[in-house]
Amino acid sequence: MMKNSFVELNGRQRAFSLLDENTGREIVGPEFDFISPHLEPQNIVPESDDGVIVVKGKLDGKTAVIISIEGSFQGGGIGEVSGAKIVAALEKTLEDNKNGIKEYPVIVLDTGGVRLQEANYGLLSISEIQNAVIAIKEYVPVIGIVPGRVGSFGGMSITSAILSYLITTPKARIALNGPEVIEQEAGVREFDSSDKNLIWDTLGTRQRVETGIADEVVDDDVSAIKDAINNAIEQNKDAHRTDQADFYLSLLDEIDFAQPLNTKQYRDLYSKNKATKHVVNEATASQQAKTKSRGRLWFEKLTGIENAESNYPTVLHAEKDGKEYIAIVPDENNRFPRVRKGEVGLQEGFLVAEIVNKIVDEDKDKKEKRPLILVVDVPSQAYGYKEELIGIHISLASAAAAYAKARQAGHPVIAFIPGDAVSGGFLAHGLQSNRIIALADDSITIQAMSKASAARITQRTIAELEEATKHVPAMAYDIHNYEKLGALYKLVQDVSSWDANENAVEEIKTVIDEAIESTENQPTDLHFRYETPIAVESGRKATNKMRKTVFEQWNQ
Amino acid sequence: MEKLNFTYQNSEAVKKFVHVGVVASGDLEILLYPADETTIEIVTGSDGFKEVWKNVLDRFFTRYPLKGKFVIHDFGATPGVVNLRLTQAMEALNDEK
Repeated sequence: MMKNSFVELNGRQRAFSLLDENTGREIVGPEFDFISPHLEPQNIVPESDDGVIVVKGKLDGKTAVIISIEGSFQGGGIGEVSGAKIVAALEKTLEDNKNGIKEYPVIVLDTGGVRLQEANYGLLSISEIQNAVIAIKEYVPVIGIVPGRVGSFGGMSITSAILSYLITTPKARIALNGPEVIEQEAGVREFDSSDKNLIWDTLGTRQRVETGIADEVVDDDVSAIKDAINNAIEQNKDAHRTDQADFYLSLLDEIDFAQPLNTKQYRDLYSKNKATKHVVNEATASQQAKTKSRGRLWFEKLTGIENAESNYPTVLHAEKDGKEYIAIVPDENNRFPRVRKGEVGLQEGFLVAEIVNKIVDEDKDKKEKRPLILVVDVPSQAYGYKEELIGIHISLASAAAAYAKARQAGHPVIAFIPGDAVSGGFLAHGLQSNRIIALADDSITIQAMSKASAARITQRTIAELEEATKHVPAMAYDIHNYEKLGALYKLVQDVSSWDANENAVEEIKTVIDEAIESTENQPTDLHFRYETPIAVESGRKATNKMRKTVFEQWNQ
Repeated sequence: MEKLNFTYQNSEAVKKFVHVGVVASGDLEILLYPADETTIEIVTGSDGFKEVWKNVLDRFFTRYPLKGKFVIHDFGATPGVVNLRLTQAMEALNDEK
């Protein structure tokens, strides 16, 4: 029998092909011409579905919601409108499952992650997608397919690690940072983006399935993929990919980051690895000065711990006045070279997950859940070859999932941003918070990618990129434009990042307490971001309109 | 990016909405709605091809005078691809579904 290629289909055809014949009904289909409002101002041609197709129907008789990302429109990047469509569909799926109507979501990931032309919207949306996926997994498995050509990259790879079960074809690749971005950020000796064999050997699905990043490689055939999905649903599969912090921390203990590591060596290490318990000690004061950063400064001032240190130099946590403060900080001599400037690397995500999961466990039976205060100063995720080989996106996903679960369990999760909040680092440590506080300080960078890399990937000059940031606030790199998106609980005007004087610290403590109080008897989701006056008026206007449209069409 | 608008005096009324194509590199999507007048609204990534568009549309509508509202999002499709997608849109109109 002739095979029907799944990869060769476009995003819409893929969605319908997975459903039983004539059962599919598209939600907010192309006839609504619901385009992104942010592309035409940058001279980019929009698409009527903004690159995401949602189809409800039957999969082998079961009600399924297929969310298919069109990889050939803007690289499958997630923007405000496409992101809101996914989130709204997942939220309705969650609601139906809560009401006893079994519905199985399936996400076709053909995506570069954040749509760089809508950068900060992409990051917000992706964190909201992750939040919804984690909530749905309490009821039904959420299955992912990575068919290729694009594969799954960036923030959506972090999402892929959060899904219950990941099916791939041999034509796909999965990674956090694409080789071009690593080459741009860390140099050609770190990762040569012209070496196609190296790329496929490292990021291709055969290697990925052997090392726990994907679960199953299936031939590129519609019925084989449909069978695999059906099987995963019926067996209620769950890879628990974000519950492996001890396993990965043990593995990382065995790897010398000063030496090369090839795919075969890594497979061997992976298969022999045994998980041992890892604990991140509470930070204590020390005599020795540490690598300075805005995050460290504020962590120390808010907790009163001078020269704070723990058994892991880049991750600090401490309880103070009933609140748990957590910070990721730079360490100029760290044995992982790619995190020396405070980037969120392989260890950091898993360590944060250990800390947060322990707190959630300790407070499990308590009525009052400890607030988690994230001191955010993360210049990015770590860019490196070994980071991708091992799967840094799983580390970031573990942290994001831990924060999301803590919030959903009733812990107030408050992000305080005195420093940078960039990309995967921000997704892991900050964006799962139900309240975000930031300082109105010009030194803060808040974005999805550095200007140099974003220009390279979107094939523009840096000057063109900067021009675009003037028209689209989500493209900008500063906190003042970020405020226009409506996601902030508060932008503190009179405190600077590097000046944590006594009055400033008292003021921030008061704002944090107010933020905690504002979460009382409120939903434990991320809806606050859609409902601030700025969000309603302008910042998330398209989001709110898309949500309303999806909700109206859900049960027609 | 450039926005182009055309109108035609066509006779064969479009009865339902159809959609074809993807805004992929070298491709385009066409949204075709029933309407009382024939209008074509084009957003194209390739500037300066108004005459070429007019020629392709003239030729297509001479053979198939479809009356409806066309919305086209073009990401650098060649005239051949444009003609192919227009033909597919017309075929989709005739699909029994």
